Amino acid sequence: MEKFHGVDYYEIEELLTEQERLVRDTARTFVDEQVLPIIRAHHRAGTFPTDLISKMGALGFFGANLTGYGCAGVSNVAYGLMMQELERGDSAIRSCASVQGALVMYPIQTFGSEAQGDRWLPALARGEAIGCFGLTEPDHGSDPAGMTTRAIRVRDGFLLNGAKRWITNGTLADIAVIWAKLDGEVQGFLVERGTPGFQATEMEGKFSFRASVTSELTFNDCLIPEANLLDKAHGLKAPLMCLNQARYGIAWGAVGAAMACYDAALRYALSRIQFGKPIASFQLVQDKLVTMLTELTKAQFLCLRLGRLKDAGRLQHTQVSLAKRNNVAIALDIARLARDILGASGIVDDYPVIRHMLNLETVKTYEGTHDIHTLILGRDITGISALE
Amino acid sequence: MPVNIIVCIKQIIDPEIPASQFKIDPGTKRQVQGSHSLVISAYDQNAIEVAVQLKEKHGGKVTAVSVGGASAATALKSALSMGADEAILVDDPAIVASDQQGIAHVLATATQKVGVFDLILTGCVSGDWGDRAVPAFMAEELGIGCVGFVSRIEAKDGQVVLRRVVEDGYELIEAKTPVLVSIISDETNTPRYPKLKDIMAAGKKTIPVWKAADLGVDSERIGAAAARALITDVYLPVKESKCEMIEGDTPQEQAVKLAARLRELKLI
Repeated sequence: MEKFHGVDYYEIEELLTEQERLVRDTARTFVDEQVLPIIRAHHRAGTFPTDLISKMGALGFFGANLTGYGCAGVSNVAYGLMMQELERGDSAIRSCASVQGALVMYPIQTFGSEAQGDRWLPALARGEAIGCFGLTEPDHGSDPAGMTTRAIRVRDGFLLNGAKRWITNGTLADIAVIWAKLDGEVQGFLVERGTPGFQATEMEGKFSFRASVTSELTFNDCLIPEANLLDKAHGLKAPLMCLNQARYGIAWGAVGAAMACYDAALRYALSRIQFGKPIASFQLVQDKLVTMLTELTKAQFLCLRLGRLKDAGRLQHTQVSLAKRNNVAIALDIARLARDILGASGIVDDYPVIRHMLNLETVKTYEGTHDIHTLILGRDITGISALE
Repeated sequence: MPVNIIVCIKQIIDPEIPASQFKIDPGTKRQVQGSHSLVISAYDQNAIEVAVQLKEKHGGKVTAVSVGGASAATALKSALSMGADEAILVDDPAIVASDQQGIAHVLATATQKVGVFDLILTGCVSGDWGDRAVPAFMAEELGIGCVGFVSRIEAKDGQVVLRRVVEDGYELIEAKTPVLVSIISDETNTPRYPKLKDIMAAGKKTIPVWKAADLGVDSERIGAAAARALITDVYLPVKESKCEMIEGDTPQEQAVKLAARLRELKLI
């Protein structure tokens, strides 16, 4: 396989620090050597490459932008570039790292106790423990405030009842960050694997995200010790803060998927001969390639600025919404154009395009659907909520 | 016993860019960098890996040295991220356009300034020009032994055992230190991925920049004027292919003719 050299039409490389480039290069080489050779087989089989977990942990990919507890503390731009490369491999790999860092380690560090941090964060950072995040329910996706999972106080802690669905890493997880209502307020609980009454089941029949573990979690009179309450998390704002971290990574990740598709389409167009010349010679193909590159370049700048704002502590969640919404949408468009350029070859997994195209349907939907982000932004610029 | 190692690395334009993007500046007769990324020459990365493994096993210190422009600091940061303890950049316009002997002279003086060492490691071949002479010139200048194309090094009892790759296998060579060794790739020296924490730690380290004058370099021996090798032309090879049909009434006859033709072309 020919080495990936990046897509950098506007010399964005020059705007990155040395550390950011080195972090990106570690992730890029890792993806080229460890992910791409095996991902097709996992996508076909519908399995997650679990042996990559400890490798990613050893390199410091989990919670890389967090500090303390063995985390690397890289800049948010470096973290984003890492996510870009991981998703260039497959959305499943980036999602695994996103969930672990943004949705499990971040809430434990932000809302948890020191004891919870000491117990879980080093192991999660090393990839020796896996986590998952349970907010979405079978009947409550875009409307998490309506969640029906409940916790009630009992003598030894809390009794948890309810169900969560579409949970990445659910059946792999040693620890689940579960959001439930306690006395009417959304609170976070750490539910450990093996807790009586807690069951995780893998969801089947997916045509997208096939290399990712997607699960349904059920809690049936599940006794959660007092010590497992995230006692600094009060209300829906807490899980939404977590999602904001994850959406930031998605905005970058989508660029990686788009890069993979553009790169595959360009190479194919240059080598595929029809009517006696490469199909890249034809105006219609060039139009598609230029459209892909233009949107990709714009998305790269959006990410870079988003990262710099995050590093400066000035990031607004609405800016993350805009980037997630735009970048996933254009990545999906780019994947579809790439599939078109590849013709019949675009529907087989000899090329990465169809795999990314299918994955991006999930990415468009999760962590706030495209439409929900539209309404978040609409509310922000008009002051009028279309959701109420 | 701790082993102190100096690793000489070279930053080059990524040699794995597609051939169609490879361009030569007719004036300088050098490759045009354009927007292509710069990397550490591949065998130099193997050399860093060998050095770091020896340090991890025996203790000691690994110092990476590179001759190049300011951008070579990134290559040195990468070496620090892989486990080198210190890094030094030799950056001086007077060195630009030196030939292999000039570079060897600069590197030799730089290693002497670094201080006491047991081993100097380099890659066996540079990934840009395919040079392999610098290690030998350097060793000559330093008055120490030189062993080329070594895949593995074991340190014991004040000497090193070098596994040198030869055409039909390998040789084991015992060498007294200090010695200069050029490294070839091997399953045991695949360059490690720099860990994110190590990249962050490397970022905090300062890389001293030495000039030719800091090293006591003989100015008569460096730069284009001192170069004994003159590059007269550089060009991209043109690949030509043609198709030849082998005639014959039967498959057997075609096979015989094909074999005869391949033998005639000295392909079998």
